[in-house]
Amino acid sequence: MKKILLVLTALLPAGICPAEPPDISKSVVMIQTVKQGYDYTTPWKQKSTTAGVGSGFIIAGNRILTNAHNISDNRYIIIKKENIAKKYPANVEFIGHDCDLAVLKVYDESFFDGTESLDFGDLPKVNSTVSTYGFPLGGAHISVTEGVISRIQTDVYVHSGADSHLVIQTDAAINPGNSGGPVMQDGKVIGVAFQGVLAAENIGYMIPTTVIKHFLQDVNDGRYDGFDSLGITLFAGLHNDSYKDFLKIPADTQGIVVISVMLNSSAETILQKDDCITRIDNYDIDNDGMIMIYGTKHHMSEAIEQKQIGQAVTLTYWRNGQKNTTELPIQLNRPVFEYARLYDDPPHYVCFAGLTFISASRNFLETWGRDWIKDIPHILRYLFSDSQQLNKDRLRKEYVILSEILPDEINAYGDSFLNKPLESINDTPVRSLDDVKKAFENKGADFYILKFMNSDSPLPIEAKKAHQRNEIILEKYNVPTWAFTEDKI
Amino acid sequence: MKQTKNVKLLFSVLLFAAVVSSNACAKGRIDMTEKMKDSIVYLQISYCGYEQYQPWKNKDITEGWGVGCAIGKREVITTAYNVANAAVIKAKRFGQNEFIPAKIKIVDYESNLALIELDPNALKKALVPLKFNAKYEKGIEVNFYWLSSTVQAYSGRGYLDRATVDSSSIASSRTLNFVAANISDLTGNGQLYCIGTEPLGIACWSNSNKEAGIIPAEVINRFISDENDDTYNGTGAVGFLTTRLLDPALRKYLKLPQQIQNGVYVSDVYTIGTGSDVLKTGDVLVSIDGFELNSYGRFIHPKYDALFFDYLITGKTAGEKITFNLWRDGKSEKIEALVKNFDVSQMLVPWYYLDSQPQYFIIGGCILQKLTKTYLEARGADWAGKAEPHIYNYLLNEAFKPTETRKAIIVLSYVLPGNINLGYHGLSQLVIDNINGMKIRSMKDIPVALTLNPETKYDVIEFELDQPKIILDRATMQSANLIIEKTYGIDKSANINSD
Repeated sequence: MKKILLVLTALLPAGICPAEPPDISKSVVMIQTVKQGYDYTTPWKQKSTTAGVGSGFIIAGNRILTNAHNISDNRYIIIKKENIAKKYPANVEFIGHDCDLAVLKVYDESFFDGTESLDFGDLPKVNSTVSTYGFPLGGAHISVTEGVISRIQTDVYVHSGADSHLVIQTDAAINPGNSGGPVMQDGKVIGVAFQGVLAAENIGYMIPTTVIKHFLQDVNDGRYDGFDSLGITLFAGLHNDSYKDFLKIPADTQGIVVISVMLNSSAETILQKDDCITRIDNYDIDNDGMIMIYGTKHHMSEAIEQKQIGQAVTLTYWRNGQKNTTELPIQLNRPVFEYARLYDDPPHYVCFAGLTFISASRNFLETWGRDWIKDIPHILRYLFSDSQQLNKDRLRKEYVILSEILPDEINAYGDSFLNKPLESINDTPVRSLDDVKKAFENKGADFYILKFMNSDSPLPIEAKKAHQRNEIILEKYNVPTWAFTEDKI
Repeated sequence: MKQTKNVKLLFSVLLFAAVVSSNACAKGRIDMTEKMKDSIVYLQISYCGYEQYQPWKNKDITEGWGVGCAIGKREVITTAYNVANAAVIKAKRFGQNEFIPAKIKIVDYESNLALIELDPNALKKALVPLKFNAKYEKGIEVNFYWLSSTVQAYSGRGYLDRATVDSSSIASSRTLNFVAANISDLTGNGQLYCIGTEPLGIACWSNSNKEAGIIPAEVINRFISDENDDTYNGTGAVGFLTTRLLDPALRKYLKLPQQIQNGVYVSDVYTIGTGSDVLKTGDVLVSIDGFELNSYGRFIHPKYDALFFDYLITGKTAGEKITFNLWRDGKSEKIEALVKNFDVSQMLVPWYYLDSQPQYFIIGGCILQKLTKTYLEARGADWAGKAEPHIYNYLLNEAFKPTETRKAIIVLSYVLPGNINLGYHGLSQLVIDNINGMKIRSMKDIPVALTLNPETKYDVIEFELDQPKIILDRATMQSANLIIEKTYGIDKSANINSD
């Protein structure tokens, strides 16, 4: 017994202490941001400004890494170093809302004088000690907290609300303002602190270096493309022997069942319902859809997370009692009704005759307030929840919603159509805001007959009068342009 | 809901009419409290009903009370709401200490009326039947009467404010109601409202603004006279949906001529109910039985002033004639039709499912259940927002549209975990498409579908919207069912009524 203890004490110092711990005050910075988002009901309007404080740290190449949520919808960014009064304006170089990471650029090169960039480590071991650095609740000095790694698992990144990646849970205190700060072990960054759980104590989360490295690799070509997916829905049902036998999968084989394939996805021509995927690249998939990776079990999506868009995975799957192997290219595969929150870009719209049309988004739904998922109109909840199954139109780019009516004599009777998705104009299907723009540009018809989903009565607009009123309405309500459907006005 | 004739009842009603009419000309406020003691009873009601999410179980017993108004020597009426899911009803009569057992003869949730019969052997003295024949008069004083649990007669007063067409908290259709204002006590349990000596109706709701809803005499009298017929036909049901027709652009688009200034737009037509067989989406409904509808769907009633057109249908008995004047495809049309009714069980998603055990079928721990609004409401406050959108959509947009190929929506409520359904435990609130390849049109299809493909090893349940399949092993099904029933205390594995 005594002998074992001695060995441990001899080993421990070597494991904990790196050769020379970095001077963290040379690497961690405070980020002060003024934000201003868009009003997703009347998208030409911007909301009030808010100010926030977060953390970031210097990485190789004179860049600053931070969380996307620190600087999303920013109007002005200031970087501060500890113990130095000067404020350095900065810009966003790259931002990945799906992984809550961003790279900032400070144009005053003198900023980097005396700073030290931090290097990245690998996934830490559970129960190993880590230190978090940052500016919780602002303050002038860097705060340090210490804790252990509690677990590593796949979870939702709340910034987008829709994307899931690996997260590292720690009991080191992570508070507002810590976001974007480095979590260190052995002198290296093993994570970026980014979110916590309000209802729980001592649960903080950081973004692991697997995700950070993916992000940094992605932006190497000068553009951020995002995390990719297979475009399929899976069901962990093979725990049931009858299900397995019914799908003609050998009893000793584990895997996960495809229950739907997304329209227009790369998997569409390759996989089909009831296929059972048993292997992805070099990883066997178990009945829970997990693979053995980084020394433990993680969701099979981890195998895809390692790839960049355009790369492929090798899948082994069973179909009708036959084992097959295929290469499946991976791509963005976003649903037609985007689940993720949008940031930074001004939302597109068409505002014609006071009728304001927008693209259905989570941001629009969240204008209903805290209980939006319960409070939104049924048709919006239905589309948000089930658009992948409900939409059979492969040309559909988005759902177009009548979000606001700027009151005028031309639209005095349109109220009952508010918040409904537009189905067609003069019987031409509306699959995007661009279709709406084109329909109203056509001045040949007497009426524009607008038909909405879940509504059997049409909304007719007298074409000639509508065009006459349109200019007056735009001026009266300060709408800068009637159609903003491309990224430049 | 079928009933036999009751000649005696009619006779006694007529007799009573002769008695009260002599009092009708009395001046000033008339207090009938003393007189009403023999015509109103106190009803004590024990409710149980069924758990919607464990349909084999009764709910905990709760107690309530109501007022019964005599329409025969031993028959009383009260609101249907009062007796919904009633397990036991006991009456108390003035001048008698013992409870009088009572049972429901007819309940009509659309009219919100129930006819209750008191046990003649327990009733020591016959009741004095009332005749509901007070005439509506806006602004007139009304008095109301009830009997308390201690058999004390009480009265209160208010003013008759308006007539309205509205639905009760249960009903799917809108019927005629009166509203009394400035009432001196909250009434909503069937209290008897009178104008002077004349019974006007019974109370069906009240609110904190001192308003009360009254089921009026004409609704009560139709209910009673229908009950005296060989069969109970019920009131007419509206078989279509309308929207306001205010927009001049829509009028122009529909090519409505200058002389048609009013009417409503028919925005949806059901497969059941009045007009469902003759109206089309896009019609403009100009008048019903000669009553012109305004653009909001109201017409001017000679007695009640502006009422929603629903009254012109729900105010009739099924089988009566009705005339629609329409603007269709650019010209006027007159359509004769018959007033139609439907039983709530005929709806694709029944608006309510009361008094009976929910329809369900448990197989391999999977609880398959008929979708009803009552089932969804059991989710509690905000049930509409909590319901899965695909399921809620059937209630919102398809409830009144059953077809031969789809008579009911059957859902997988949830799975009671057991070895046979390992892997499926998380599946719930899914709409069943087919079982063993057979489309499921109603509950009765389930046992039939389960006998299909006898050569195969498995029963296969498939759902709508790309959900996982459920595959159940037939060889172990019987024993698995027994184990699950025993484990979860299920005394009955299925309840399939013949609706």
